[in-house]
Amino acid sequence: MAKGQQAVNNTPGFILWSMRLAFVAIAVMTLLSGLLPLQTVPRNWAGPDLLFCLALAWSVRRPEYVPIWLLATVFLLADFILSRPPGLAAALILVACGNMQSRARPLHVAGFMTEWLRAAVLIVAVAVFYRTVLAILLVPTPPLGLHATQVIGTALAYPIVVMISALLFGIRMATPGELDNIGQRP
Amino acid sequence: MAKDKNTGTEYTAPLRRLLTAVFVLLLLAVFLVWRIDSPRVERLRAQITDRIVPNMDWAMAPVTGTVGLLRDFQSYQRLADQNQELRSELRQMRAWKEAALQLEQENARLLDLNNVQLDPRLTFITGVVLADSGSPYRQSVLFYIGERDGLVDGWATMDGIGLVGRIAGLAPNTARVLLLTDANSRVPATIQPSGQRALVSGDNTATPLVEFIENRDVVRPGDRVVSSGDGGIFPAGLLIGSLEGDRNGRLRVRLSADYERLKFLRVMRHYGTPTVSDSVGIIRDGIPLGEPENGERAASSE
Repeated sequence: MAKGQQAVNNTPGFILWSMRLAFVAIAVMTLLSGLLPLQTVPRNWAGPDLLFCLALAWSVRRPEYVPIWLLATVFLLADFILSRPPGLAAALILVACGNMQSRARPLHVAGFMTEWLRAAVLIVAVAVFYRTVLAILLVPTPPLGLHATQVIGTALAYPIVVMISALLFGIRMATPGELDNIGQRP
Repeated sequence: MAKDKNTGTEYTAPLRRLLTAVFVLLLLAVFLVWRIDSPRVERLRAQITDRIVPNMDWAMAPVTGTVGLLRDFQSYQRLADQNQELRSELRQMRAWKEAALQLEQENARLLDLNNVQLDPRLTFITGVVLADSGSPYRQSVLFYIGERDGLVDGWATMDGIGLVGRIAGLAPNTARVLLLTDANSRVPATIQPSGQRALVSGDNTATPLVEFIENRDVVRPGDRVVSSGDGGIFPAGLLIGSLEGDRNGRLRVRLSADYERLKFLRVMRHYGTPTVSDSVGIIRDGIPLGEPENGERAASSE
């Protein structure tokens, strides 16, 4: 732990910015892999929203790698590219990630199952609010069954995304001492 | 919690909350602008896609190619079965080819006899599919030809055989094709041989619904569904597919276009069907030619 703390204490701007860049790179790769013209027949299931999972997982672990302005830009771009109503999904995801960021420390104390539960609740809440707002404004909502498979898939994919980001990028829970140092960074 | 632990978050937490609120409001403003002035924002969307996606083609094309190779490799394992299938299909095709040749000759003779002029303006542009919609809720593909190549919103898009969709969303280099399977797609169609008018409306499944048929008793599964040209957006007579019933007793179209492999698509140039709007041109000696027919139709609908 001491070693990790030291490493974070010495985190130069370089690591911070390279991790932000890594987040953008993963986001672009995820979007483009979805755009590959491999699936032009409609399916009756939808894959998980990996980008949302990743944003949640990083928000609770390393909020400084996914600042709000970066999340807003990435998800607005995702809305535009994936031909969703622009802005709405991005705004809701931003609220969810902000909630995760502000609860980083209690969630760390409570353990992973609580964190997962919270992430799942946020994922479902985002979907419910998304559908509600679209319905109120008379915009056609995505088919319920298809949307449900995506929400469940996203919630189930959360631990996997957490594991992969821990293995590949070393994104782990910051200990309370580290949080302070990062929090003071402007 | 110790005091010094809170000092860090005391300033950053409210600041972060404020920032989040500001960005959320900004995003919601974008959403509201989209809701109010959708065409302009959709145009912006087309331009953003136009900037980004073609530039990423270098990264996407190899992956698409590799996945294609792997899929083909999988299909090698079923080589013997496929061979059998192809042989039987080839036998059927030979029979059809013979029939088609005879019909073609007959058709040519009849056209010659009637001195028919086919519309020379119905030509097409072929484009490569660059990307799909990237979302399971939308059925569309992105094309690597656009406004620059003279495309117009609404033009019909076909693969070699059947109708695939229509252009919805144009940017200088790219165009989005709304597929017939998308939930927003509605195409007026005629069912042959009965000549019933219907609407082919997509519902995010592989087989779009056929709705608003006047008389369901005269159509049966297997009938050909072609575009009717009503509304003047599509040319008439483009093949859409064949009719089939589903488990709930609704009618659906099995699409003729091969949606599994949308790679090259052709856009039909169509400058609108000239409609007869005034009766002056067709009145001869004071007797309108269309009148008996109108009278008959009114009688039959009553």
